[in-house]
Amino acid sequence: MYNSNKMKFWRSFNFVLLIVGSLFMVAPLFWMVSISLKSMEEIYRGEFTFIPQDIHFSNFVDIFQAAPFLTYFVNTSVITVFVVLANVFVNAFIAYGFAKISFKGRDKLFILVLSTMMLPGFITLIPQYVIFAKLGLVNTYYPLVLPSFFGSAFNIFLLRQFFKSVPNSMIEAARMEGANHFHIFFKIALPMIKPALFTVAIFSFNGVWNDFLGPLLYLNDESLYTLQLGLQVFKEQSSTQWNYLMAGSLLVLLPVILLFFFFQKYFIQGSNILGQTEDK
Amino acid sequence: MKKYLLLIVMSILLLSACGGFQIGGGSEEPASTETDNASGDTADSGSEASGSGEKITLDFWTFWGSEQRRPIVDQIIEDFNNSQEEIEVQHTYVPWGDIWTKNLAAIAAGDPPDVIINDINTVKLRAQEGQMEPLTEFVDEEVQNRFYDQMAEATMVDGEMYALPFNTDTQILFYNKDLFEEAGLDPEDPPSTWAEMEEYAAALDVQEGESYETIGFYPLIGPGSDLWMLNALGENYIDEEGNVSIDTEPVHDTFNWILEQKNKYGENTITSINSQFENAQQDPFMAGNIAMMVQNANYYVQLRDFGQDLNFGVAPLPEKEEGNGHTSWGGGFVAEVPSGAKNPEASYQFIEFLTNHDTQLYWAENNFDLVANQEAAMAAAESEEFSEAGQEVYSLMVENMDNTLLTPQPLVAPDYASTINPTFESIISEDTTVEAGLEKAQSDLERIVENNR
Repeated sequence: MYNSNKMKFWRSFNFVLLIVGSLFMVAPLFWMVSISLKSMEEIYRGEFTFIPQDIHFSNFVDIFQAAPFLTYFVNTSVITVFVVLANVFVNAFIAYGFAKISFKGRDKLFILVLSTMMLPGFITLIPQYVIFAKLGLVNTYYPLVLPSFFGSAFNIFLLRQFFKSVPNSMIEAARMEGANHFHIFFKIALPMIKPALFTVAIFSFNGVWNDFLGPLLYLNDESLYTLQLGLQVFKEQSSTQWNYLMAGSLLVLLPVILLFFFFQKYFIQGSNILGQTEDK
Repeated sequence: MKKYLLLIVMSILLLSACGGFQIGGGSEEPASTETDNASGDTADSGSEASGSGEKITLDFWTFWGSEQRRPIVDQIIEDFNNSQEEIEVQHTYVPWGDIWTKNLAAIAAGDPPDVIINDINTVKLRAQEGQMEPLTEFVDEEVQNRFYDQMAEATMVDGEMYALPFNTDTQILFYNKDLFEEAGLDPEDPPSTWAEMEEYAAALDVQEGESYETIGFYPLIGPGSDLWMLNALGENYIDEEGNVSIDTEPVHDTFNWILEQKNKYGENTITSINSQFENAQQDPFMAGNIAMMVQNANYYVQLRDFGQDLNFGVAPLPEKEEGNGHTSWGGGFVAEVPSGAKNPEASYQFIEFLTNHDTQLYWAENNFDLVANQEAAMAAAESEEFSEAGQEVYSLMVENMDNTLLTPQPLVAPDYASTINPTFESIISEDTTVEAGLEKAQSDLERIVENNR
């Protein structure tokens, strides 16, 4: 009797704690929704209200007049698809090599790859820009997409750890049966590390979907602009149209949230296993 | 395996279908039809001859992409394109603030835009760094004399003119007439000295227990302490040669005056109002939380559009004491040609058009910006396009240019403010005394100048 009461207490305590915690996390999102439905007059009046006095759903329609967001949506999606696919498959391919194929100088090479993580992206930004400019690729999507086809150290590291958890005996068995490494990679190793692949996919989706600096530097033609650049039209030197900015941001945020809901099972699995694998 | 093959084939199809993967799209129409690029040239085709005759194509970068501004820029460009046969200008919107980062990268890579709108107070620095083409050879006397003197001066280095001023602004006093009346003050007689500001503020304060419902005035809501130093000194605290006048009596008085008012209202009141202002999602003046506020004169547009008929008045900045001068500060933008641009002469032709009387008047009437062309600004002050309140504010802006200083960054102390401002801030937050703080700021800045000479 005593015990179950105590348990009940802790359960409800946990429950309340979780509710308060999530309210805390969701509040900024509510605030965004609230502002996106207000008029500028109401925003400037400065009353702290979550529920707008007049609800302006029209903000969500009006933003399409300010900028061609549909085009931006398509553009962003195209870039995202390429980058995510490349990130997942190219990095997995490289990682598999580092994890499962032994060759001379492998570990030194791996350290070299890892060392690229030490360089902040901003340092390579301008040299990279100059290279792409010399290649005549500025104002195309190549500078935004191509680098992801050459691997990224973090993802390689992450996936390598996962591949290490694939038992060598399994790979050797496959080789005995006559399978080559390509076959093993696609048919055996990849399916076994699915959660990790989803993690990489989601991370890189977030990264590229929200990327601002890359498109800003490389794209000149407004018809090639992405959503993140498009959102900036609501910000000016002295004033910002907060209601439009928030409405636009919500629409841009939507795919990210949807993605998370669909893949959260894998996402959480992947994040949990991160760093726990050991050589086998 | 088939699945992956399919994937690759699909990617290639997508690749070829999408405009973003066409290199040097000059020969083909841009893939998207959403923007109204009338001709098929893309930005980077520069001065190359292209499909529609032998026209020179200019790429014009601005940060004016909003619903209000973009149609006006586009109209000006259309007028220019129709006004002659040789040059076709295309507008590219690049986000505010980031536009200059992008410009730098493009200059470094040798592929800059042909014309860009840039900050006026840093023209000299960019000229010195070789980031822009000199325009002197194209500028005739009429053009040279179009502009407010201080603006034209800000674009000159060693007798060379590097840009043409486009627009400017000036800081003025906004006050709430209704609150004046409630406090028994004459709404047509705004304060004109610092002492009067304090007097009026005391009358306008509405206190409720320990906290304030409305504060009359606090100097640092809106502007920073540098504006008040400028106002007190009648000049910037560092001049073009690098002479520093921070540890001086007027500046001491300035900080003591600010601190006096800060202590009257208390840290909490100031923080709460300032945070409203800084996150810019609320406006303490429109909300009636502050009765008098110094602001950029363009703030009128926000009052007009979102102020819901707030009954306000405008006045020049108060002066430190009678006869000291109502010195105010202005910034602004120029149109310039980044170095490496392919056709500076054609670029100049367009810049000249941007700053002529009719274009500037059109810009002024539609954006309520104070334009750099003096005659256009004076014409705008009487424009039928403005309401009575609009005309009043615009006239004050024009008059205020007599008292308005620009503060071009001196070559001997680029970006001096970011080094010195923390010291000013620590005086305001009372981590340092006024005496110690100003002495430190003076010697720090002198050292910077010394190092750069």
